[in-house]
Amino acid sequence: MAIPHPRDVQLAAVRWLDERYPFTKAVDEALYQRVPNFANAFYYCFGGMVFILIVFQLLTGVLLALYYVPDASSNPAPAYQSVNFIQNQVFLGWLIRGVHFWAANLLIIMVLLHMARVYWTGSYRAPRELNWIVGVTMLFIILALALTGYLLPWDTKAYFATEVTIKITAGIPIGPVSAFIKELLQGGPVVGPPTLQRFFTLHVFVLPALIVLLMYVHFRFIRAHGISEPL
Amino acid sequence: MSEKDSLKEGPGAATAAPPKEIEIIELDGHGGHTLEPQWKRLPIGPDHILYPVLIGLAMFPILMGDAGHHLADDMPDDETHPFFPDHFWPYPIIAVVMLIAVGLLAWFVQKNLQLEASADPRAVSIPRPDWYFLFLFQFLKLGNEFIFSIGIGTVVIILLLIFPFLDQALGRKVAVRLGWKSWPVPGRNIITGTIFVGALVIIALLELWALAGPGFCLPWFVNSPVCGA
Repeated sequence: MAIPHPRDVQLAAVRWLDERYPFTKAVDEALYQRVPNFANAFYYCFGGMVFILIVFQLLTGVLLALYYVPDASSNPAPAYQSVNFIQNQVFLGWLIRGVHFWAANLLIIMVLLHMARVYWTGSYRAPRELNWIVGVTMLFIILALALTGYLLPWDTKAYFATEVTIKITAGIPIGPVSAFIKELLQGGPVVGPPTLQRFFTLHVFVLPALIVLLMYVHFRFIRAHGISEPL
Repeated sequence: MSEKDSLKEGPGAATAAPPKEIEIIELDGHGGHTLEPQWKRLPIGPDHILYPVLIGLAMFPILMGDAGHHLADDMPDDETHPFFPDHFWPYPIIAVVMLIAVGLLAWFVQKNLQLEASADPRAVSIPRPDWYFLFLFQFLKLGNEFIFSIGIGTVVIILLLIFPFLDQALGRKVAVRLGWKSWPVPGRNIITGTIFVGALVIIALLELWALAGPGFCLPWFVNSPVCGA
């Protein structure tokens, strides 16, 4: 029996898919749809850059999580030692951590620039109001990711900065509410191992899942509405 | 009104151009989009070795669901271009440039990544948040802590979230007061754009004030003088 040419195998696979779903039509529709020329302006790239940076964060975050130990039970804490290990011992660990750190900083700048573009072009107006709300929610999630990530190295700077942040957040002058927020974030009377555990859970599981979900919604809205008008 | 006409509502309806004599692909539930004609596309058909790459690229918009009626659907050909490769190609380059940029920062600016001593609650340290919260840290010094943190913070969050509705409700009145003939001013959004950039400038000034350090103090209405962090 003759061995089929890879091209014939590929064609057969595409035909098989086409019989079950308008596959090639969908690919054509996705790739060759036309985009207004004004969308080539550099400021329309800011949203794409935010997406690229979030992908960097997810990838480098997974690599860092391979070595990070979310444990602050002794002094020096295993969390601190694991970050030190990543920074100084792991092959290219310094680079992965550095990319994660700098991409996080750049991400906040790019989100603000993207927002400025959206303001400037009035892209939040009808019918895009819901997408604006999704975008603003994503901004707050990115800030929450920055905040929770700051504690993870568990060094002096991170510890005291987080202590102040929790104090501000729990600054509501209604006793029970303030105590509840403090307990929820801190997991105890002071910033300690339970706090690190909570911040780690938020930083690694909850917030990334939320941001991926919201990014999907954001892109679905963009696909439905198309690009907004230029300056 | 025909079905086709009804699709010309919404953004871009004003710039509607006569229909073009090129291929229209009908997809579920709507009138389809004008696509790049076959002869203008890169010759990468279903039998080409690179077709799986195109499928990979197309998966992203496909997973994002059906496209609605876009502005480009009503624009003349010479004012639009196809998504692939014309619109897509800068993004892989941007990704590589950004990766190189953050890689170089990681390599050359190691200072910010160095760890201090392991956290010890008994240690004495003056807390200073990272730069993106530093403006907030400085802002809190300008008045009552509760009002400036929870109070103003909550108001700003709510205002940001409901901004499109505020703009819709108040924008027209502002336009009338300024003597503009129409609202929204087509394609331009000077007032809100400037307000947002103004807010960013205030944040940057607070940031610089904090970065100037505890020795840099300025007179203020409350808690005067207020010093940097």
